[in-house]
Amino acid sequence: MNGTSPEVVVDGFPRRRPRWIAIATSADHKDVGRVMIVGALGFLFIAVVELLLMRLQLAVPENSLLTPVTFNRMLSLYGATAIFLFAIPLAFGLFYYLAPLQVGARGTALPRLGQIGLWLYIAGATVLYAGFLFTPSEAGVNPLAPLSELAFLPNNGVDAWAAANGLATLGFVLIAINLVATLRRMRAPGMAWRRVPVFAWAAAICSWLMLVIGPVMLAAISMLLIDRNFDGIFFADGSGGAPLLWEHLSWIFYTGAYMLILITALGAIAEIIPVFAHKPLFNRAAVTGSLVAIAVIGTLAWMQNMLTSPIGIGWMYFAMVMSLALIVPFGLVIFNLIATMIGGTLQMRAPLLFSLGAISAISIGLGSEISHSMVAVAWRLHNTTDATAATHFALIGGSVFGGFAALHYWFPKLTGRTMGETLARLSFWTMAIGILVAFVPLFLAGTDHGQVVDAYKFFSGTGVSAENLIATIGTFILATGILLTLINAILSRTNGARAGHDQWGGNTLEWFALSPPEPHNFDVPPDVRSDQPMRDIREAIANRTRRDERAARETQPVA
Amino acid sequence: MAPHSPGTDQIDTLLWIGFVAATIVIVAINVALIYAVHCYRGSRGAEPRQIRGGRRTQFRAAAGLTVFAVAIFVVSVIYTGKARETPTTGPAGLASARSAPLKIETTGQQWLWRYDYPNEAFSYYKLVVPVDTTVELDLVSTDVIHTWDVPQLAGKRDAVPGKTNHVVFRADEEGVYHGQAATFSGQAYGAMRTEVDVVSPQEYEDFIKRQKTDIQAAQDRVVGLIEKGEVP
Repeated sequence: MNGTSPEVVVDGFPRRRPRWIAIATSADHKDVGRVMIVGALGFLFIAVVELLLMRLQLAVPENSLLTPVTFNRMLSLYGATAIFLFAIPLAFGLFYYLAPLQVGARGTALPRLGQIGLWLYIAGATVLYAGFLFTPSEAGVNPLAPLSELAFLPNNGVDAWAAANGLATLGFVLIAINLVATLRRMRAPGMAWRRVPVFAWAAAICSWLMLVIGPVMLAAISMLLIDRNFDGIFFADGSGGAPLLWEHLSWIFYTGAYMLILITALGAIAEIIPVFAHKPLFNRAAVTGSLVAIAVIGTLAWMQNMLTSPIGIGWMYFAMVMSLALIVPFGLVIFNLIATMIGGTLQMRAPLLFSLGAISAISIGLGSEISHSMVAVAWRLHNTTDATAATHFALIGGSVFGGFAALHYWFPKLTGRTMGETLARLSFWTMAIGILVAFVPLFLAGTDHGQVVDAYKFFSGTGVSAENLIATIGTFILATGILLTLINAILSRTNGARAGHDQWGGNTLEWFALSPPEPHNFDVPPDVRSDQPMRDIREAIANRTRRDERAARETQPVA
Repeated sequence: MAPHSPGTDQIDTLLWIGFVAATIVIVAINVALIYAVHCYRGSRGAEPRQIRGGRRTQFRAAAGLTVFAVAIFVVSVIYTGKARETPTTGPAGLASARSAPLKIETTGQQWLWRYDYPNEAFSYYKLVVPVDTTVELDLVSTDVIHTWDVPQLAGKRDAVPGKTNHVVFRADEEGVYHGQAATFSGQAYGAMRTEVDVVSPQEYEDFIKRQKTDIQAAQDRVVGLIEKGEVP
């Protein structure tokens, strides 16, 4: 592929088609990635609306704004939307768009596979929301069997949930296959793994992770569908089935997805901080190695969600060893990110601001998770709003703050325009205040008063009224902040300041391509000599300019 | 929430240790972030120092983090072990529970808890136990997964259909303790509460005796109605 003979890029003029048909039928990784990112941000909006409805119901004790059934439907839709339709596709959309560019590839290895992946994701989203035509799932964020069995939820909501998430997960697996193949086979000459940008490393790690956890979820979903529709007994107790089996399989997926979201965010932040601190990453090998460790150890910690289940104490200690072991790689990554800033000259633009917000929110979430991994403490805190708050800090920190950092950073590459800085700052500070006001009270309600998760109401006299009211107000502030960035993206798409091909002075190869890149990414596959190829290119151009100027000066007649 | 059982005493202590560990982590990271932003904000003429960290720095950082993680692990194992110990019934407790814990079968069902006492009496929603007596709840479920949680008396445990889980506690003070089921179990999950009345051993004996005769009387009445041909 990367021989010396020129490649045939275009043969003949392509037929002109309406824009949406062109995008919908394109297998180009940038078109697929862009549709996925736009779709994910759209579902972020829907997830926020669902969260607001639930928080409104929980604003005052014994509220009757939503019926229990409506609340449970919102809860089920919120979980599926936030994870399957927003956080994971945002990660894979960014990877799919950027990782091939970052490693200097002129396309992907299996473009049609990625395109099918996108359409499976869209099909999954359609099926989930088509559930509104009859009855959406009422089985909760993770539809634990046997509650999700036909005997307890006889309408088709759970089937829609299972089919939707199965389709979307299959889509992610296909995209992951393509990313693994592309990153393995199509890197530019000289792009050894030790020079592959951290975000492309994250893409490879998350793709492998998805290849492990995706099929587990697909198996669990298939079993659930067999149970519900073909008299299966996988999860049905009493006929040889095991309700705990669903817990194991689904938690392997959800825990892996949690790690995937955080790895994506940390990978993006590890690209952003060096650029805005004008310093190379403190230690690349430590960061990439730690991200690999997070994927492996983190997924092995799945039983941390089952510390109150009837499993042996040995398994509980195993879960605790794995979750506490995560302190080392997560700590190392954050240490290296902060050390990168020390001694730098920080340029406080929106991408850096959102990155720092992400690190801060993730630190609060993961810090609290430390106590959740201590077995006896989990017996107190498991399934309280303390767990809700910890999970939301980590995952909103990762997927929303981290995702927005990536969005602001790569928006010029995606659209050729820059996002408005004023609106970005306003959005950031609103979100920062919002997440604290929304979730710190839930920590208190969970730890001090044992308020339980997922309940459609709480009772007056249990001491959590004030906390819940404040949390509702905070959620509205957070939602306002999120909305501001979404509005900013829509406005900047057409009205933003025009960006050059290298908006921020980045060091990775995506900034070598045009903004937005041509369909074939690069006219010439770049030659990579270090882990900062774009910096080398800039220096080479500067040297050449200086040489030309000197030559021009020297040939001038002396006056 | 004040703990009222030896197990929850240990859980409470470990919770504080966990809180301190979490606070250390959160404060350390955020202070470092604020320091970095405060001191290294770009200004005119400032040149970034092009330094990279060597392998030794990384090993030191990793070693420090490992020590921290191991310390938390060891402390957790010690306190978890203590929290799992089965206490013995105290002098003020039920005499018949001296040698073995008082076993009460606890059944989770959508959306109510049923308690079956040793003398075949049973009660719904409200569990009555004697003070200073080791009580073991055998948790089972007849339908979906529920979690029994009365945080002042014991750590929470899941009732999973087809499996038996155990909760052990010894309430140290008479009174009423409240709890709420903690695993999403469908429509009325939010209203699935329970109440534990801790009473003196004498009152407990009276309660299960009264409960048994009441249940027997109600059954006899229903059987009588059916024998008379009336639909109850």
